[in-house]
Amino acid sequence: MTRQSVQLTVNGATRTVEVEPRKTLADAIREDVGLTGTHLGCEQGVCGACTVLLDDEPVRSCLMFAVQAEGHQIRTIEGVAQDGQLHPIQEAFSEYHGLQCGFCTPGMILASLHLLETNPAPTVDEIKEELGGNLCRCTGYIKIVEAVQAAALTMTSEAGR
Amino acid sequence: MTATVGRETRRWIGESVRRREDLPLVQGKGRYAADLEVPGMVHMAVLRSPHGHARIRGIDASRARALPGVFDVISAADLAGIGEFPVLWRLPGLKPSGIPVLARDKVRYVGEPVAAVVAESRYVAEDALDLIEVDYEPLPAVADVEAAIAPGAPVINDAWGDNIAIKHVVSGVNAKGEAGDVEGAFAAAHTVVTGRFKINRFSGVPLETRGLLAIHDPLSGDLTLWSSSQVAHKLRTQLSEVLNFPEASIRIRTPNLGGGFGVKWDAYPEDALVCILAQRLGRPVKYIEDRREHLQATVHAREQLHELEMAVAEDGTVLGIRGRIYCDLGAHPHSVGIGPAWVTGVSLTGQYAIKNLSCDVYAIATNKVPSSTFRGFGGPEATFAIERLMDKAALALAMDPAEIRRRNYIQPDEFPWFSAGGGVFDSGNYPGLLEKALAAVGYDALRDEQARLREQGVHRGIGIGAYIHTAGFGPSMVLGLLSYYTSGYEGSTIKVDPGGNVTIYTGMIPMGQGTETTLAQVAADQFGVDIDKVKVVWGDTSQTPYTGFGSAGSRSNVAAAAIIKAGEVVKAKAERIAANLLEASPDDVVYADGAVTVKGSPDKRVELREIAEQAYLAHRLPEGDQPTLEGTYVYDPALFTIASGCHIAVVDVDVETGELKIVKYVVVDDAGTIINPLLVEGQIQGGLAQGFGGAQLEEFVYDEDGQLLTQSFMDYLLPSIHEMPDVEIHHQVTPSPHTPGGFKGMGEAGTFPPGPALANAVSDALRPLGVEVDAMPITSNAVWALLQR
Repeated sequence: MTRQSVQLTVNGATRTVEVEPRKTLADAIREDVGLTGTHLGCEQGVCGACTVLLDDEPVRSCLMFAVQAEGHQIRTIEGVAQDGQLHPIQEAFSEYHGLQCGFCTPGMILASLHLLETNPAPTVDEIKEELGGNLCRCTGYIKIVEAVQAAALTMTSEAGR
Repeated sequence: MTATVGRETRRWIGESVRRREDLPLVQGKGRYAADLEVPGMVHMAVLRSPHGHARIRGIDASRARALPGVFDVISAADLAGIGEFPVLWRLPGLKPSGIPVLARDKVRYVGEPVAAVVAESRYVAEDALDLIEVDYEPLPAVADVEAAIAPGAPVINDAWGDNIAIKHVVSGVNAKGEAGDVEGAFAAAHTVVTGRFKINRFSGVPLETRGLLAIHDPLSGDLTLWSSSQVAHKLRTQLSEVLNFPEASIRIRTPNLGGGFGVKWDAYPEDALVCILAQRLGRPVKYIEDRREHLQATVHAREQLHELEMAVAEDGTVLGIRGRIYCDLGAHPHSVGIGPAWVTGVSLTGQYAIKNLSCDVYAIATNKVPSSTFRGFGGPEATFAIERLMDKAALALAMDPAEIRRRNYIQPDEFPWFSAGGGVFDSGNYPGLLEKALAAVGYDALRDEQARLREQGVHRGIGIGAYIHTAGFGPSMVLGLLSYYTSGYEGSTIKVDPGGNVTIYTGMIPMGQGTETTLAQVAADQFGVDIDKVKVVWGDTSQTPYTGFGSAGSRSNVAAAAIIKAGEVVKAKAERIAANLLEASPDDVVYADGAVTVKGSPDKRVELREIAEQAYLAHRLPEGDQPTLEGTYVYDPALFTIASGCHIAVVDVDVETGELKIVKYVVVDDAGTIINPLLVEGQIQGGLAQGFGGAQLEEFVYDEDGQLLTQSFMDYLLPSIHEMPDVEIHHQVTPSPHTPGGFKGMGEAGTFPPGPALANAVSDALRPLGVEVDAMPITSNAVWALLQR
């Protein structure tokens, strides 16, 4: 099948990849850009493990074609820590045991990042609403909610400094 | 964090130590099977049966082979010299079968592998699947146990003659050889309650599907398989048999696992296929199962039909249980045979001192994917039965459900308890669990409130679910007596390097539970060193000790015991070396808190680092000791450990819609000594989520032709964050008396009681309407349907 040249901007860096038009954004990020932190749990658009931020909005990268992402800003889990420093959400997921096997974690963290960037002090119901499309099979979610609450406090207090 | 305060070394067991696993995982830097990439790598896709039952008349792969980018296509005809994976648990009387690598003459379930393609990409490999033409002759299928045992039912495994894989009789003789008297128990009964229970077909469904990468080195002849298996060593042994390949030349490596929950314990056709194709092509072959394949072809679990009755005396004493269990086995036995159903049969007496038991366990073949290993392994099914029967007995005797349990518990001073199912229960305090749970939930006040709400038309119910969990599976000799061709031991090698750092080599495969961290905690305490001085090596059969069983959620107790025992070996050597350095008798020195001191003279002291340095220099070793500082211990548990717990669910049921809302959920668990409380909470909460999922949402549904109707996450519903209720967790600690460290293993237990606790709660809520919930999943539809009767 013919390949097409696509410019993908991932975590601020733009690169050109040659992909078949049918290649999903998730596969292009993983195989062509080489960032494997975006995980594929179902490729049916349900589990949310492949969540990335496209122009700061969460999308399921398994349901998009790579060619559709040209001209958009993509953020993946690899772009969440800055200058070698974990983001407060990443710290909180570890501290509150909001992850076990870690497979859903990148998607969970990106969905949480979107939430806290748009709503710095979410209620528990708002956290559940945002993460309702991300499945976790290990934790039972309770500690994920605690982690997001803790991260919100940290981010708010850091922003106030 | 400082490791020592004066000479009082910090203790790590019992602390909520933050996981060392997390740093890469929260950054997307974990390495799962799908992330592996090696030069020359090609991709496998598998053609699977679209039929529940069909004869294969012919396979034409010529068009697939001709597709550009396709390297190879194989079907059963290409598998000369390749065997079948064995059924490891071969109860006497189980009809013979294996697990074929590719279907030969017949397919027996939707998703059964028929052919495999290797191509330059997964996309092209899947294109090629569409070009393979298989001439199927569809056969009548059977999709449930009742249809499968009906006269004239189509026979799935031709050589068997019928669909009954085995009728296994649980005779109710305990481990001391004492037989019960079931007939006498029923003859003496004041009341007999009956239950016909249906447990749904659901499974572990980890978020990461199965993944493999096989690399065959034509120069050395060695085969390296990267596999998401939970049981690398056992898989290596099985692969050697199936591939007829020397085991010493097979190395299995394990990347991060994105969950396992038992389904990655079994061996699968694809494990062999990637190896076969890597050898044929001389190129590394990768296979990542997709979600549809996972739902079709990775083992299911749990599905059982129970027909049970329980004899009860007037005062509520349970006299005996008898009946039948029908296990829907799927097309053929998988790696563990009918193991889970056997566990159900022998565990039916639960936490109770019931001395008379007889149960016929039937395993029935159906045109569905095989049913096998899943967190809980037959225990949750037994828990559903006994806990429902207890509530039914309470109802029949007009007794409170808590009270009837009180009257039947095995008492704390009755251990070791020899159960009617043949088990030896090591320790426990079951009444303690109940009373703690009742207090936490505010039981008496709840009952008053329930009565008030009932007058207002609110249907609130309270349900108890209490369980025993046979953890630390198990003593090898016992597994042998059960004809289970696995072993229960776990080995640990400990090496102290010249700098005094401790490295643990374990055959355990971490699946996400935090195994690396918890084992490091055990070793840090054992050596009295900071946890950062302990490294845990896992995931490579060429480095780690052989493990007879592999990982299960409740096996870290066995691995921890192995570390403690290996640590004792190493510390004994450290004491001898230090005694020599201190010019003291080995009998006069003792290892404690990271150093060896002369008893009574704490100033005469050699630190572990210095001992290690001397062990490697070997300039001043005691006579008879070899250089270096390392030791191995293979720990085979002497007995099973029995973890336990009691859950109480409080629910409101909407009688218009059948919807149930969990108002409160209390857990009291007892897993013996706890290594890391934070991680234990995580295991309980995660187990509960799977328990709630199976109790309320999850079900693999087949139509009567054996067609799977739940092939996506839109049909097979995993619990989301919205379905998880608030949960209150309390602990009781009854250490195991015979396990080093007192650990019992707790990773599976959360899955046991949600089903019966919710069924009891909903039945309790709807008692005025005469509704009894005896089937899972307890969906709104199901409750609504019961209300219409």
